[in-house]
Amino acid sequence: MDVSAKHHKPPVIELKHVSFSYEEEAPLLHDISLRFDAGECCLIGGASGSGKSTLALIMNGLYPEAVEGTMKGEVRLHGRPLSSYDKGEAAQHIGVLFQDPESQFCMIKVEDELAFVLENIAVPREEMDNKIAGVLQETGMSDFRHRAIHELSGGQKQKIALASVLLLDPEVLIVDEPAANLDPASGQELVQLIGRIRRTRGCTVLIIEHQADRWLPLLDRAVFLAAGKVMLDGCPDTLYQTKRALLKQEGIHLPFRYDPVPPRKPDPHGEEVIFDVRELTVSKRTKTIIQHLSFSLHRGEMLAIAGENGSGKTTLLQAAAGLVPLKTGQIMLKDKTLEQMGEQEFRQRTGFVFQNPEHQFITDTVEEELLFGPELAGRKDAGQWMEKLLERFRLNNHRHHNPFMLSGGQKRRLSAAVMLGEVSDVLFLDEPTFGQDAASSDDLMNMIDELRKEGTAIVMITHDMMLVDRYCHRVLVMKDGEAAFDGEPGELWKQRDLLHSCSLMQPEEEAVTG
Amino acid sequence: MLLREWKLKEIVLMSILGVVFAFIYLGFYFFGQGLRNALMPFGLAPFGYELIFGIWFIVSIVAAYIIRKKGAAFWSELIAGTVQVLVGSPAGPQLIISAAIQGLGAEAAFAATKWKNYSLWVLVAAGMSAALFSYAWGWFQSGLAALPAGLIIATLLVRLASGALLAGVLGKWISDQLAKTGVLRGYALGKVKQNGRIRKAS
Amino acid sequence: MTASLNPALKAVTVLIPGILLSFSFDIFTPLVFLLFIIGYTIFFSGVPLKKWLMFFLPFMILAAGFAWMSMLYASGSFAEGRTLFTVWRFDVTTGSVAVGISLALRSLCFGALSLLFILTTDSTKFMLSLMQQFKLPPSITYGVLAGYRFLPLFRHEFQLLRQAQRVRGAGRAKGIKAKILQFRRYAVPLMANAIRRAERTANAMESKGFTGSYERTHYHHMQITAKDWSFFGMVNGALLITFAVSYYLGYLSIFGYQAGS
Repeated sequence: MDVSAKHHKPPVIELKHVSFSYEEEAPLLHDISLRFDAGECCLIGGASGSGKSTLALIMNGLYPEAVEGTMKGEVRLHGRPLSSYDKGEAAQHIGVLFQDPESQFCMIKVEDELAFVLENIAVPREEMDNKIAGVLQETGMSDFRHRAIHELSGGQKQKIALASVLLLDPEVLIVDEPAANLDPASGQELVQLIGRIRRTRGCTVLIIEHQADRWLPLLDRAVFLAAGKVMLDGCPDTLYQTKRALLKQEGIHLPFRYDPVPPRKPDPHGEEVIFDVRELTVSKRTKTIIQHLSFSLHRGEMLAIAGENGSGKTTLLQAAAGLVPLKTGQIMLKDKTLEQMGEQEFRQRTGFVFQNPEHQFITDTVEEELLFGPELAGRKDAGQWMEKLLERFRLNNHRHHNPFMLSGGQKRRLSAAVMLGEVSDVLFLDEPTFGQDAASSDDLMNMIDELRKEGTAIVMITHDMMLVDRYCHRVLVMKDGEAAFDGEPGELWKQRDLLHSCSLMQPEEEAVTG
Repeated sequence: MLLREWKLKEIVLMSILGVVFAFIYLGFYFFGQGLRNALMPFGLAPFGYELIFGIWFIVSIVAAYIIRKKGAAFWSELIAGTVQVLVGSPAGPQLIISAAIQGLGAEAAFAATKWKNYSLWVLVAAGMSAALFSYAWGWFQSGLAALPAGLIIATLLVRLASGALLAGVLGKWISDQLAKTGVLRGYALGKVKQNGRIRKAS
Repeated sequence: MTASLNPALKAVTVLIPGILLSFSFDIFTPLVFLLFIIGYTIFFSGVPLKKWLMFFLPFMILAAGFAWMSMLYASGSFAEGRTLFTVWRFDVTTGSVAVGISLALRSLCFGALSLLFILTTDSTKFMLSLMQQFKLPPSITYGVLAGYRFLPLFRHEFQLLRQAQRVRGAGRAKGIKAKILQFRRYAVPLMANAIRRAERTANAMESKGFTGSYERTHYHHMQITAKDWSFFGMVNGALLITFAVSYYLGYLSIFGYQAGS
């Protein structure tokens, strides 16, 4: 049958039997054939490692040239093989917005970054000014034209990255998990912006995403990849309703709407207060970052710290863990202050998991990482202890691996594992689920909750209000260095004005049930 | 020097290495100042910088060893020098010239193997060659000519040793450590290591 | 205003005296030129005096240290003259004092030239003008700028690393082996992240149509005008005049050999 007879217009972009593999490794993509029509908005889903990000770079013409990989099959743009386009020309038709807001720029100022794109495609200088002003208006970033990029928030950076892609006037816009590293409110804003751009520009939009929830209103079609092949291709609503089992089996996250998680509340915590901070004030140079903050924790209690970026969350967590110098205040663990106890003992009885787990790795193998702490403390049973942790955090198969070689979820588990002394009283976590897919977030939260049940008090920074609702007894909302709210999550959801002013988003299940 | 065979990601990597090491270099500048003052009472002050001089060539070794292309040693050092000037090194714009000369020194050793051999000995030779070039330049530039002959020979020997150890050996070691993390998969060194592993396994 | 000059030619302008002064070992030559540069910076460069002094002070301290060391260690051909005093086992002679002061003045010249450049130059424009005027390959130009952008990130990451290692009880290192291991603990994560970012940044740049070709337009059109050449002529002319006057007065010393004698 002649395929093109079915479609009146030829596809914008078409993949024909595309396979891709890195040197001497199993193929990452295997015989993929897909076609996308003009103006289509399609989700490309799949678990991490399914090859969906590689697909973006292949469609954009960057791979296989930029890496040592071999590709079979071909990609056609308007019916012409991508390889027949001049270097750099394909990129003009197909723009990509990437995940990491920190590494998409090469200039210091917003204006210069946008000009860089126009220079690449040799736009005459006289026309640049108008084009830059126009695209900044389109993305709502006009006020930021003369700002330095590194001073912007993650959400603002992504908007500038999007603006610079739009300057190429692409017919196809590929977005590769663009909101994964953003807080939910900024993520939502970016999704809405992309929806608006699609409506006004009428371009084809391909969304590579693990968690499709907030993209649902935009989608016409969904393609799911598994093991490097196209597993499903069709209407998202139909697929999510009829292929649930298959999707779940492949580790693909189902949107909340199709797979509501039953509400969950943490079991009550103990009575004994084991950790208490009073009147913490921290200032850097002349600026006060947090002032007069106090909170205490009971055995087995989980506290979330939430708030906008720059509200002082991270400083509060670091201050409570005794990592930054205090201007005023006191930290008490059980019945001793930090000073009475001494730093060494305090570190042994508390743990701190950083946002980037790699920062905490100091040895060559997973085993050595787990042995480091106990050996430093002079424990004789360090070996047994390590075995227990390997088991508990499911790192058994990776014991001889270099920590840097682990997957994102495994790294996170290892960094939590190395932080656990035998009797850990308090565990501090800085956005433990940041940039993680749903499966590994759940995984990690369950492990943390296990610890909590054994009596460890948990303090964690998070943007994820669903997590707060399901796991935390209390939530402390920071605003401008002070506590704007400290109480049960259920109470917070009732205060809509406060949620809005702190850029917090109520979890979906509350919105549905309440 | 030609960059035609280079991939953009290699050039960006080299530049970033240049920037990272510019900061390490600046740190060592002040460390060297301190070392010199500490050695002063023993009459060994001129050796203060010489002992750690090799660190100033390390980016050449690291970049060349990882990327393995013509010009890596020269350009990376030049970039590190330029960045130090841009962020305000007390050593001034001359630093750009000394960086270029040191980079040329290291590059010369790699050129002698036609950019084919990156064994430890070649890396050590590159470190020493950079030391030699930099000493020749220092002869004019920072007044080394004003020192007595015995001291000149002694300082030259210390600088050569420092170049061999702190640039050659340390540069290789740190790159190998980095290769273990798997981030160099897409670069020459990562590929060499991977092929090595495959061969060992089979 | 020096800030509006072409940065690449400005760099060359301050580099030349930097090199030529390296040959002189007398006091007069660097002193006169230093006075000229300081005078120019204060009255004509547009750099606020207070800011300039703040930056220049460390140079003076460094120069003093430099002078002191050269006095103690100057070699025979430089250390003539009568012995002024003895420090421990070093004889300080009139000759060595002269060389010490000369080297100090010279390093102050380098410092003043350096500041004249740094305090009036935007680093982005410097790189762009190296590309536009001196044909630096665009891939290097934008590669360096991309690397430069990472600086604030590195600083932030370094602080986090320090805290993270402290939490793990990997604090201060004692002994050389421990120091090297500690160096690795910082260098490996910092560089590993940098390498991943380099790769992602390169992808993003190419996705925006960057090919490294010279055929591109320029938003900041850098050019060399008469103004730039007159700055070049003035600074280097002043240097030549200084050398000439120094020669006629019999002060000029090249590598310790009195010129003209």
